Parts: sequence; C-alpha cells; structure tokens
Amino acid sequence: MSLVNLAHVCSHLQNASKARLGLTSIPVSKMHVKLGLGLQREGFLSSVTLGGQTPPRPFLLQSTVGPEEHDELAQKLADEPWNAFPAFDSHRNPPLGRDEHVSRVKVPQNPAQQRLWLGLKYWNNEPVLKNMKLESKPTRRIWLTSEDLAKITRTRDSGYIKGLTHPGECLFLTTDRGILEARECVERRLGGMVLCRVW
Amino acid sequence: MSVCRPIRCLLNPSLPKPPSTPKRTFHASASKAARRRRPHYPSIKAADLKLLNQTAEEKYPKYDTSETTLLSKRYTPAQIAAIKAAESAIDTKDLVTQAQRRSDPWLLPYEDDMSLMDPVTDHAPKLTAKDLPYNHGFREANEVEQTYAISKIATENMAKLYPNGTPEGEMNEQEARRYEEALEIAMTQAALDPRAIYHSKKNEVVNALADPRFSTILPDLPRLENRMAKQTRRIAAQEEEDPRQKRLLQYMDWTKDDVKKIRVKTLVVHGVTNQTRMGKIRSMYYLTIAGNMDGLLGVGEGKSVEPDEGRKQSTMAAIRNMRPIPRYEGRTTYGNLEQKVGATKVQLFSRPPGFGLRTQHLIFEMARAAGLQDLAARTPRSRNKMNVIKATWEALCNQKLPDEIARARGKKLVDVRKVYYGGSIY
Repeated sequence: MSLVNLAHVCSHLQNASKARLGLTSIPVSKMHVKLGLGLQREGFLSSVTLGGQTPPRPFLLQSTVGPEEHDELAQKLADEPWNAFPAFDSHRNPPLGRDEHVSRVKVPQNPAQQRLWLGLKYWNNEPVLKNMKLESKPTRRIWLTSEDLAKITRTRDSGYIKGLTHPGECLFLTTDRGILEARECVERRLGGMVLCRVW
Repeated sequence: MSVCRPIRCLLNPSLPKPPSTPKRTFHASASKAARRRRPHYPSIKAADLKLLNQTAEEKYPKYDTSETTLLSKRYTPAQIAAIKAAESAIDTKDLVTQAQRRSDPWLLPYEDDMSLMDPVTDHAPKLTAKDLPYNHGFREANEVEQTYAISKIATENMAKLYPNGTPEGEMNEQEARRYEEALEIAMTQAALDPRAIYHSKKNEVVNALADPRFSTILPDLPRLENRMAKQTRRIAAQEEEDPRQKRLLQYMDWTKDDVKKIRVKTLVVHGVTNQTRMGKIRSMYYLTIAGNMDGLLGVGEGKSVEPDEGRKQSTMAAIRNMRPIPRYEGRTTYGNLEQKVGATKVQLFSRPPGFGLRTQHLIFEMARAAGLQDLAARTPRSRNKMNVIKATWEALCNQKLPDEIARARGKKLVDVRKVYYGGSIY
C-alpha cells in the first residue's frame, strides 16, 4: 500500500507548488519522513516538521526573543563567555537562563492525528520542486543495481528507467542504508528500489 | 601461397594464370579491392613535363637586357625589385596549367601602368605643409588681389569648359544661353575658390590651397559606369527609403551592417480573410524568424493586404523580438526541454558534439538561426506550423540554467570541466 500513498504525496506536492503554497502536510509514515528529509537534503524543501492537524508555528516565530531579552542574553554572554559552550547538564538548566533554539511543536499522541508538514521553496517566481513522478508502481516495483544507476545518472536509459536528462533532476531510491539519491547510491555502490524522480 | 597450386607455377612464372572464377558479390557497389587505385596527384610523364616547361618558357619568357633597361627608365629600382619578386613568386608552369583570366564585371585591369594613379585601387598621394619648401604664410586677399585672382581662375575654368576656345562672332540662341551659363559657373567657382580668398607672396602656396593632394578630405571615388554597379546602387538607395528599418535601427541602436548580419527567414505564409458587410478582405499573414547564429533568436508576425508590407512587418518584428538563447558549450540546449502551445507539444533533446540538427525543418531553421549545432526534436502531437515555431521559441528562451537551479536549492555548483580539461571549454 505504501507506494499508493507515495503516489498521492507526489501529486499533492506538485499541486501544492502549482498553487504556490508555502507549507503543506502529508500523512506520516517512516518512508515519507525519510523521503522528506532526502528532499530537504537535496534542497527541494525548506523544512520537514512533525506536527498535528494544524500547521506548526513557523521556526522564526518560535525562536524569536524580544529585544530587551536579547540584550540581557548578550550582556550575560559578554560577562560569562564560558557559558557559550555546552556543559554536561546544560540541556536541563540552560546556563544563559533560556535556550533560544528549542522549538516547541505540539505533536498529538494519537498517530492517526499526526501529519508531516513540509515547507515548499520558490525562486525567481518559480517553484523549486515542480515535477515529482512515481517510478516504481504498486503493481511493478523496479530494483536497480549501482551499474544501472551509474548509467542513469549519465543521462542514459537503463532497465525500465529513463535517464536523468533534465538539468538538476534527482532520482530517489530506497536502499538498505535508507532513502538515498541516485548519485549518492552510485558513490556508495548501492542498489535499491526506485521510488520517484524529482525535477 | 596456396599449397594447392601446382608446382609448375612456381618454376615457370611466365605461364598464364588460370582465369579466376567470378566471385559472387553481395553488394551493388564494387568491392574495395576491385576499385582502381589512382594516386591523388596526376602522373605526368617526363616527356610531357619537358614540353610543359618549354611552353611555359615560351609563353612567359624572362626579361632580356633591352627590356630591363626599358623598365629601369620607367620605374624606380624599388618598383623593379617588387615586380621581380612578384614574378618569381609565381611558377610559370602553374600559370600555363592553372591560370585563367577573370571575366567578371569587377575584374581589375591586368596590364597596369604603375606610373599612373588608379583612383580605385591606389592610395591617393597625400601632401602636408612640410612638402612646400617655402614660407607658407598667407593672409586674406584684399579687393584688388581678389578681383585679379577671380578673373584669372574664371579664365582657367572657361578654358576647361571650352577646350577648343570660346566661340567667336555671331551665336545662335541656344549657343548664347550655353555660353552665358558657362560664364556664370566659371565666375561662381572662381569666387568660391580658396585661391581667390587668400593671398600669399609665393604662388605655389596659394595653388596648394586648391590642390586636392593637400586636402585632409579624401577625394570622391569615381562613379563606375557599369550595369551591375548601377543595380547595387539602386538597391542600396531603396533600402535607405524604408522608414520601418530606420525606426528599427534607432530602436536597436544599430548600424545597417548589423542588420545585414542577422539571418532572417520567413517560415509561414498564408492568406487570411476578414468577412465584413462590404465583403471579404483578403490579406497575407507572415511568420518570420531572425537570429544572429550566435545565441539570439526572434520570432515575428506580420499581416497586411499588401504582401510586401506584411513580410517587412514580420521581419522587423522578428528582429525586434530577438531574445538570448542559453546554449550549453555554445552548441546544444541545457538538458531536454518540453513546451506546449495549444495542441502542439514540442520536445527538444540535447545531444553530444557532432550529432547535428536532426529535427524537422521548422525547428532546424530556428536552431540554425540561434546557432545551435546538436539537437534532436519530436513533435508528438499537433504539427501546426505557427504553434511549433512559437513552442520551440518559448522552450529555447525559458531554459533552466544549472546555476539558477543550484541557487534555488541552496547548493554549491562547480564546473569541474574547467579543471579536468585545462579550461579549454566554452
């Protein structure tokens, strides 16, 4: 069933970027999380956050400190500069009084109510993630070796998969080392099952 | 050698060989071994070569002493050296075998008299004030001097207009009018002549004022009285008249030569009709592409009742609409492109060097005008000519560049070809 959900995710992300959404949500599964992180690593997404039915507060709003508070922190750091380095119990009682990097997102305990929130990117009035297409189908899964992938990343066709001919095109595979991009698989000499291509 | 061949072949080589059985050929063309092998150069027999040398010597003999003395009277030693160097550089044998005389309208006179100036091919001699060995001071002439100079120059001019002397005695009406006109011309020219306006103690200094060799302005080229020259002159004059082109030149800040370098081609022509209550109004539609063969491509449309007008309209629009086309290594596109206009879909595929333009004719023309060299294309759906051209143009213009993609994804992009191939890439 998982590939059916992935197909839904693919078309949902395409639709969301066509609609110029800044933030969108997909159902949570281990594969979706890993793929989302892979997309973020390749620069297609700005953020991947686990959250509930309502969108999480944006990172900037979460971490903002007021100007007076900020001055206070700066003064404290200037007086006691060793507090900039982590101590063994700094996660429990932060040395500067408060930790400005902790983000508090309410995640419901019920897994059915959890959603994965993805931040979409735009550049020069164009979505960064414009096309996303499922390659393996629920009825026909495709496995590729690293040799096949070497061909595909050099724009040649191999097996049932067309080469990566668009500029900046990426192909994601699920391997025994997690979900990786095709070029990364070639580098590490890994094969795996093809999931989707993104460009 | 085959073992099967009888021993007497070895012992007696003069025996005739048995006729070889005809081999069955599988191709229509002759097999390679069967082709006659000819050397790339003509094989000339020694006797023929001797004959050729003889003919060359007879036809183009060396100068004898009487001729060299004649030459030395006419030309300076430097000129003679140049003549000899030029003649020794050309083999007379080549002249006999290869040379032929030009017969085109632009041919130069072969027998050139180097003591004379040819206004077309030779540089005009230039003189400066230093070439006058006198004190070249001059002042404005006073009235007396002016009257004297004008009368003198006018007489000279009249002598030029009437080389056989001015007519004497009774003249008929036509002759009299002509004489009066000539007088007027001569007087006007004399009054405008710098020799009449300025005065100097030395006559040579005054004459130098009117001498074109002292002028900083180059003399006009002589008018060529030739059919071809006239025709080109007329075409050039016609082009000058076109106000649309003039406006285009102003708009683009170009000269006429820049426009001539643009490759322009009209790809679609068809008639269209407008139905009004008065009846049908027929006009012609034109779609033209323009490109500089080096990364600029434009598409223009024009429509008019007058065919010529419509064509010009579309051409100017195409030149005005030229947009830059990003090219990978100056030869192909950045990756595969796809664009849809109406029911037409155009797919363009980038290809390796030396692949060529393997596309349909419309895309081929556009690729050539844009300066693309390696490209494949498919038009899987409708092949409407206008839409194919528009879709191709849009696809080529709106390419995503790797740098842009890297910026958008927050990645660092390095072109390693610059390292591996010593920077010898486009």
